[in-house]
Amino acid sequence: MPDMETKKKNFTKRKIVKKIVFGLIAALVCALIVFPIIWMIPAAFKTRREIWQLPNTFWPNNFTWDNFSKVLTSSLNGYNFLSSLGYTLLVSVIAVVLSLFVNMLAAYAFATMEFRGKKALWWYFIITMFIPGITILLTSIKVVYFLHMVDTIWVLIIPGVVSAYNIFFFRQFFYGIPVSLEEAATIDGCSRWGIFWRVFFPMSSTPMVIIGVTTFMGYWNSFVWPSLTIVNNTKIAQVMQVIRILNSNYSSNYGIVIAATLMAIAIPILIFAIFQKKIIAGIAISGLK
Amino acid sequence: MNSARPLVDNEMFRLDKKRHNRFTYRNQWVAYLMLLPAFALLTIFVVTPLVMALIRSFQDYNTSAFVGLQNFEYIFGTDLFAKSFRNVLVMTAIITVVMIVITFLFALVLKAMNNKFGSFVKIVIFIPFFISGIAASVIFTLLTNYGGGLITSILVSLNKDPVSFTSDEVLAYAAIIIPTLWLGFGYNTLVMYAGLINIPNDYFDAAKIDGASWWQTMVHVTIPSMRNYLVLIIVNLITTSMQMMEIPLIMTEGGPLDETLTPVLYLFNAFRDPSRPANATIAGALVVMVVIMGVNIVVFRLLQSKRSEDA
Repeated sequence: MPDMETKKKNFTKRKIVKKIVFGLIAALVCALIVFPIIWMIPAAFKTRREIWQLPNTFWPNNFTWDNFSKVLTSSLNGYNFLSSLGYTLLVSVIAVVLSLFVNMLAAYAFATMEFRGKKALWWYFIITMFIPGITILLTSIKVVYFLHMVDTIWVLIIPGVVSAYNIFFFRQFFYGIPVSLEEAATIDGCSRWGIFWRVFFPMSSTPMVIIGVTTFMGYWNSFVWPSLTIVNNTKIAQVMQVIRILNSNYSSNYGIVIAATLMAIAIPILIFAIFQKKIIAGIAISGLK
Repeated sequence: MNSARPLVDNEMFRLDKKRHNRFTYRNQWVAYLMLLPAFALLTIFVVTPLVMALIRSFQDYNTSAFVGLQNFEYIFGTDLFAKSFRNVLVMTAIITVVMIVITFLFALVLKAMNNKFGSFVKIVIFIPFFISGIAASVIFTLLTNYGGGLITSILVSLNKDPVSFTSDEVLAYAAIIIPTLWLGFGYNTLVMYAGLINIPNDYFDAAKIDGASWWQTMVHVTIPSMRNYLVLIIVNLITTSMQMMEIPLIMTEGGPLDETLTPVLYLFNAFRDPSRPANATIAGALVVMVVIMGVNIVVFRLLQSKRSEDA
């Protein structure tokens, strides 16, 4: 049947054309997305004259490390980029550990235990998801002043530790852990605390990576809160806060701002590179955030 | 643990009766103890500030006397605040519509590809998700700077006049909207993609047997099946776009002539300006919350009611 044959041929031909077209579209979109980042990398090695030079070139004519050495060694009105990198890393790491611990513990209680007022407490937690940061910004500052937390690393860490969304996320995950495991652990003489620590905790590596990375990113990228609560202790100012200050002071010597930004985005992207499989799979299945 | 195990499966949503009866009210205090850290922190750093904000919005800043709706009257009487709301509504509308369209189309492409290159693409487009609004603005400044950015450079080499993204009203919007789309494109595409691959293949087979065209399948099968994902994305986009401030702060500083000022940027500036009455600013921040919640409820209702019509 030659008719059938040509039909089949046309079909596979169309399939191949479709594949090539889609591949090209995808490649183009990828190029558009990474272009701004690729464009900035060599700019960090340009001299102050070259950075706004016309016509602009991709590759620097006079390759220099000056921007990096300047941004890492000098300080501006007490703001020091290197020190802020260190403190932002410290704050983010402590926050991730605390946040995972506190939120998982709460999620465990909601997922596996019955107690009076559970429903009311659950709503009390969930409603806080709908409060925009700006609404409670000024009064939160009053609270942290009252607690003498301003200008310490704790003002950066503690107020953001609890997240109703993270509790919700972990609760959903814990629902999927079979009760028989809990029962077995109880028979072996495990307490509720022991079950959490020995059964639930080791089984939660995937959600811990996803929530851990998003929490880290939230702290690493935070800007508004640190700029209003780190006022005098400029040594612990956070990275984005310092980039904003560099941005408004070095518009003529922009290579410094670019070098700082490059270092600041490298860390979360590196973390993404390490955990990309789990993160992409996590979104594909659950629609994270 | 096996990483291939699905993160959320349907069994999770089926409440386990056994589990709920077993430990009923036996070790209640353990549960309270486990909830205590989260409860205490939430109460101190979220609920207390909210209650304080509610009280203060009805008080005079200096005397703490209750003044009724005076603070709200003041903030509604502030032209700049009203203008910032109009600006952000325009931005939110554009961002939401454009984002939905481009991410939906690209998710279709990704689904059709379904190969190694496809998984590589997913990783690449997700990179901007990790970049903050501040950093993204610095990156885009290299392209939009009037004096020597890439766009100026290209225009000059084509013997055209350079354009200013900070003094032209339309371009200022573009300078804010394009980085915002760039930041959110990967995340939203992946959520769309998740919605697409979760549609049972039987639906498409049935449509094919019925002789439905590509367009008919799209309108009657694909889009209705993705309703929950669309609600998630739209609510998320509205909530985040209406609170936009980092990108306008760096890209345009709210200019030209406050055309790109957003309410959160207005409030951020007002909080640091002692000449503006703080309690009126708090009232404005509460208005922002109410508007965001209101818009979200409307979206939710609209999409819900459509669903019941279909059923």
